[in-house]
Amino acid sequence: MSAVNTIIIDGLALALPLLVIAIGGIFSERSGIINLALEGLLGFGAFCGALFAYSCVAFHWFAPDSLAPMYLSFIVAAAGGALFAVIHAMLCVKFRANQVISGVVINILSVAMTGFLTSQINKTVFSGPSSRFDLMTAPRLTVPVLSKIPVLGAVFTRFYPFEVLILILLVVFWFILYRTRFGIHVRAAGDNPQALDAAGIEVSRVRFVAVLISGALAGIGGMCFAYSIFSYFSGAIYLGYGYLAIAALIFGNWKIMPTFAACLLFGFAQSGASQLVLLLKVNSSVGDLAMIVPYALTLILLAFFSKHNRAPRSLGEIYDKSKR
Amino acid sequence: MSEQKRRNTSSVILREVAESSLDPATGTQDDREETGQSEPLQIQMNWFLRAFSNERWQFISIPLLSILVSLIAISIMLGIMGSNPFNVFITFLQGAGWIMRPVYAGGYGQLSDLSNTLTAFTPMLFAALAVTIAFRGGLFNIGISGQMLISGFLASVIVGYSGLSAFVAKPLVLLIGMAAGAAVGGLIGFLKYRFNINEVVASIMLNYILQYAVSYFIKIHFLDQISRQSRVVSQASMLVLSDTKVGGVYVSIPLCFILALLVAVALQFFLKKTRLGYEIKAVGANRRAAQYSGIRVRRTILVTMMLSGALAGLAGVSYYLGYFNSIEPGALTSLGFDSIATALLGNAHPLGAIASSFLITTLDTGGTYMQSMMGVRQEIAQLVTGMILLFSACSAFFRWRIALSRQKAEMRAREAAASGGPGGCGPEVEVSVQGGDVQ
Repeated sequence: MSAVNTIIIDGLALALPLLVIAIGGIFSERSGIINLALEGLLGFGAFCGALFAYSCVAFHWFAPDSLAPMYLSFIVAAAGGALFAVIHAMLCVKFRANQVISGVVINILSVAMTGFLTSQINKTVFSGPSSRFDLMTAPRLTVPVLSKIPVLGAVFTRFYPFEVLILILLVVFWFILYRTRFGIHVRAAGDNPQALDAAGIEVSRVRFVAVLISGALAGIGGMCFAYSIFSYFSGAIYLGYGYLAIAALIFGNWKIMPTFAACLLFGFAQSGASQLVLLLKVNSSVGDLAMIVPYALTLILLAFFSKHNRAPRSLGEIYDKSKR
Repeated sequence: MSEQKRRNTSSVILREVAESSLDPATGTQDDREETGQSEPLQIQMNWFLRAFSNERWQFISIPLLSILVSLIAISIMLGIMGSNPFNVFITFLQGAGWIMRPVYAGGYGQLSDLSNTLTAFTPMLFAALAVTIAFRGGLFNIGISGQMLISGFLASVIVGYSGLSAFVAKPLVLLIGMAAGAAVGGLIGFLKYRFNINEVVASIMLNYILQYAVSYFIKIHFLDQISRQSRVVSQASMLVLSDTKVGGVYVSIPLCFILALLVAVALQFFLKKTRLGYEIKAVGANRRAAQYSGIRVRRTILVTMMLSGALAGLAGVSYYLGYFNSIEPGALTSLGFDSIATALLGNAHPLGAIASSFLITTLDTGGTYMQSMMGVRQEIAQLVTGMILLFSACSAFFRWRIALSRQKAEMRAREAAASGGPGGCGPEVEVSVQGGDVQ
């Protein structure tokens, strides 16, 4: 397999989970709620999904080689992420907490809770001293004919099933945000909540739902990482991809398609850099230097594109009916 | 029906108001009659409201309330899991050296534990102060970990591996730490100032860049082949006197402990009494208003980030050349993120940060002993921290609710007073309230 193919395959496997998390972040932030909690939400979602998949195997709920636990675990992960996002939504929408603080708190709480629960559940339920839930690696699929196209064929080669799911979610949530009534409400809640309120829509409800969506999508994203780079769930999942997704969505100017581009750029920069190290056959420590490339590139590009970045107008503000 | 009910309650309140005016603590009845309506209203509040509505004490009473609530929540959880919560908390304190343990291994004593806690406390306080000043300036420095790493690394390389004597090495370590941290903080500030890059994104990116860059240099030049960490720095450059015998037990004396406390006090003074401190707070409170009042907002942002970075640098050197004596390549310390929590728990107030750093490091260092004694996973320490933070994140809500209830109580009292007229004791009030209802 050529290096270009590998770059595309690995790049997509990183970029798409990042994208689904970032889409969630866009919903939350377009509705006016800063969401630094993505990191914690993806971890908690992955924890729920992994717990489910692990129990499926441990208790023989499905046939041994069935893929059903994997697919169902994505649903569980989405539910778990949404459940945890309720805390963020409650704190930010109802309890008038500072949204940045709330996000940080949720990240810390998520790391603590999943770490504690993973070892506690392993000890009591599965009677093992392990601090992680072992999963399998998701199977990789290849489309027969399309994968033979030169270069572009790599897109259809050795991809994870969840990548298809994410592309579907991309279309669905793009449609929701830009083409439905609810999407208009979300965008209005972030830009002009007073107008939304005047139109008879409850701002707090729109924001609440938007935060729940971000939790569900982050949970799915976390589950993707658990099934691809890790093949287990443990505290290692808090690798900072949630923060990276935030960077991507700010880079993408809080719009879905530019964010998609940012994620792709990031994924390809990462896989390209690691391929370069392999090709040059240099000391593996140089790999660390190559890992800088995607982050430095993002920073440099941000320097060019940030001038015209505009955050949603009432991002981070507690909605107060009496304010004008 | 409900009308009747309200009438009753209002008369009850009023009677209590009237009675309370007889209370010697609030002044005699005569006083009240003389001053008439201008007397401040006697407000009927329950004990809870009375305890928490005093705004002067809210800065301490509300964090205490959140700590209490979260301890109760954790106690219930521990109880369900079958351990005695009281014992768990005691072993936390014993492990951190605040209380004597029943048994000590030879050469170790309570002082050893306490000195450990203080050694962990020092970088935590510096880091929390770094978050605090950025927060006061309306910025969010999420890059503390990266700033700590680079300053710890540079100090190790320049001083830690040199043969400088202690008197030169130790101050130099502090200076290099501050300079390196300030440079990275300044870069973040500059990127925001010049290119409008969100400081959160810039910090996250720089965290990764620094993490990988430092990892590369350590692996190539400074790796200890056995421990797979960077080589151990010289004793002379360490900011902790480790394994010193004091009173027959081994202790590690954190040299920067006092410095950290002094910096916290100085920062409080700086924010409260100096012009620059005022400008930082003004920019943090309302950027646009600060601009119209003639403050150079962008320069202030840059300075704030540099100060925050310098403090993070101090945290870095007291962590990597104090709490530890080497650097693990390819890892950022979680302390940088925990310090955000610590600072928030301390109400983004320098002196509050001292208290919250003590609390958090006690939970951290006491956890190991607690786990060995009680068999409860030490991750619960983090969970306690998380819960405390969760409740203190609601502090704005508490404040708002308390103010609301207070307003309601005031309104009720005023209503009652208005319909009741001035003065009078129990029975008279009864009558006047009924008279009021006729209207």
